[in-house]
Amino acid sequence: MSDPDTNSAPIAPDSPLGHALSGHDVPALSPDFADRVMARTQGRPDPLPPLRRGGGGKRRWSTARRLTVGALAAGALASAAAATGLLNDLPIDLPSPEQIWDRITGEDSEPVPQPQSEPQESVAPEEPEEVAVEGPIDSPEELEEAFNRIDERRGERREQRRSRVDQRLDEALQQRREQGLPAPTPEQEARLRERLEQGRDRRDALIEDRRATSREDLRERIESGEELTPREVLREDRAGALRPETRERLEEFRELSPQERRERIRQFRERRQERGGQRFRRLIEERPEPPAEVAGDEDSASVEQPDDTVAPDQPE
Amino acid sequence: MSGDSPGHDDGSLDEAEFVRRIAAQDEAAFRSVIETHAPLMHRIAYRMMGDAHEAEDITQEAMLRLWDHAPRLIEKGRAGGLKLTPWLKRVTVNLAIDRLRVSKRVTDEEHAPEQVDADPLADAAIEAHEEGAAARALIAALPERQRAAIVLTYYEELPNAEAADALDMNIKAFESLLFRARAALRKAFEAAQAQEQGGAA
Repeated sequence: MSDPDTNSAPIAPDSPLGHALSGHDVPALSPDFADRVMARTQGRPDPLPPLRRGGGGKRRWSTARRLTVGALAAGALASAAAATGLLNDLPIDLPSPEQIWDRITGEDSEPVPQPQSEPQESVAPEEPEEVAVEGPIDSPEELEEAFNRIDERRGERREQRRSRVDQRLDEALQQRREQGLPAPTPEQEARLRERLEQGRDRRDALIEDRRATSREDLRERIESGEELTPREVLREDRAGALRPETRERLEEFRELSPQERRERIRQFRERRQERGGQRFRRLIEERPEPPAEVAGDEDSASVEQPDDTVAPDQPE
Repeated sequence: MSGDSPGHDDGSLDEAEFVRRIAAQDEAAFRSVIETHAPLMHRIAYRMMGDAHEAEDITQEAMLRLWDHAPRLIEKGRAGGLKLTPWLKRVTVNLAIDRLRVSKRVTDEEHAPEQVDADPLADAAIEAHEEGAAARALIAALPERQRAAIVLTYYEELPNAEAADALDMNIKAFESLLFRARAALRKAFEAAQAQEQGGAA
C-alpha cells in the first residue's frame, strides 16, 4: 500500500483516483429554480429576534449566587489575613529606596533606622502562631495554609472558565440561528443549560473527592516528618485531581524530550480545536434528555474538559 | 451579476450592496444573487449528498436563509464581518452536513448493521457499473466533514483557508481533516481496485 505522506498528498486530476473522481458530474439546476425560490419568499414569517444573552432565570440566579459567595469569601479572607498580620509575612521582598540607590551606585550606605511604631498591647492573651508558606513546608499548619491559597485561586479560575464556556455556548447558539441551522427551542435550551450545570457540579464533586484523597497522602507525609516544597505541593495537588490513567499519561509526558513534548502539545491543541467545536455542535444538536436519565453521563460536562483539566498530554 | 451591479468596482462592496437590497425585500437583487450563486451552491450540495433533489432542496433552503437573515447580515457587514459568497458556502455546507447526519441517524435506526463494515466503500464502488456512480460511492463513503473537505478543495478548488472558513474551522484543524480525508479516499479507492481485480480474476 502507500505510505502515509503519499496518502495525504493532494489528489492529482490525472492520477487513477483523479480519473475515478472526475466522473462525479453534477446535473443542471431545474430551469424554474429561481422562480420556485422567489415564490417561496412570499408570506414568510419574520425571522426570530436575536437571542437574549444571559440564558434562563435559573442560570442567572446561580451565577449571581456564585459571584456573591465568591465576593463575600474573598472579603472575609482578606479581612482575616489583614487582621492576623498574614499579609506582612508574604514572601515578597520590596527593596527600600536606599537599597535601590546602593545597587545603582555600587556603594553601601549607612543603614537608616526605620521609624518604629509603638509596640501595641495584644488584645488577645495568646496570639496564634503565624503561618508563612515560604521555603519548605514541614508543618501541618503550613500545609493547610498552602491548601487554602490553592483553593482560593482555583475558585477564581473555575469561575472564569465557567463564564467562558457559557459565553461560547451563547455564541454557538447565536451563530446557528444566524446560519439557519436547527437550534434548540427556549425549553430545550433551558434543559441543555441545566444538564451542563449538573455535569459541572458532578464533575467538581468527583475532582474534590480525588483531591481529598491526595491531600490526605500529603498530610501523612508531613506528619511522618517529610519536607515538601510549595511547588511540590501544588504539583501533587493538581495531579491528585486527575483520574489515575490521566495521571499516568501526564507522568509519561513529563519523561518526553522537549521536542517530543512540543509535538504532543501541537497535536493536542489541534485535536482540542476540532473536538471542542464538535462537542458544542453535538451538545446543541442532540435532543436534550430528561436530567435523571443523563445523571451518569460524563459527556455532558465534557464541553468544559479542554480548559478545566490537565490534558493527558498537556503540560501543567 | 455584473449586469445588475449596483455600481461598485469592488466585488465585496457589490455583495454588501446586494445584501442591503435583499434586506429591503428587493426581488430583482435576490433573483440576481440566485442566478449567480445557486449553481455553485448546488454543485457543493449535490457532490456532498449525491442526490439531485436533496441538492436543490438545500440550495433553495440556503437562499431562503439569505432572504430571511439579510437584515441581520447587514449588521455584520457594518462591522466588516460579512462576505456573501463565503456565507452562502458555509450555510450550504452546514445544511448538507446536517441532512447527512439526520439521514444517517434514520438509516442507522432502520437498518442497524450487526457489524460495522471495515471498508464500506469497496463493495459499493465495485458494484457501481458507471464511472459516476463509482465516484459518488467514493465520496459517499467518507464521513460528512471529510466529504465536505474533498468537495470544497478538489472539486471547487477552493484554497484551504476558504474551505476552512466554509467549515467554520481554523486552518490547522482543517488541514488535518483534509489529510485524513485524502488518506481515507485513497485507501478506499485502493481497496475497491483490489476487489475489482480479485473479482475479475
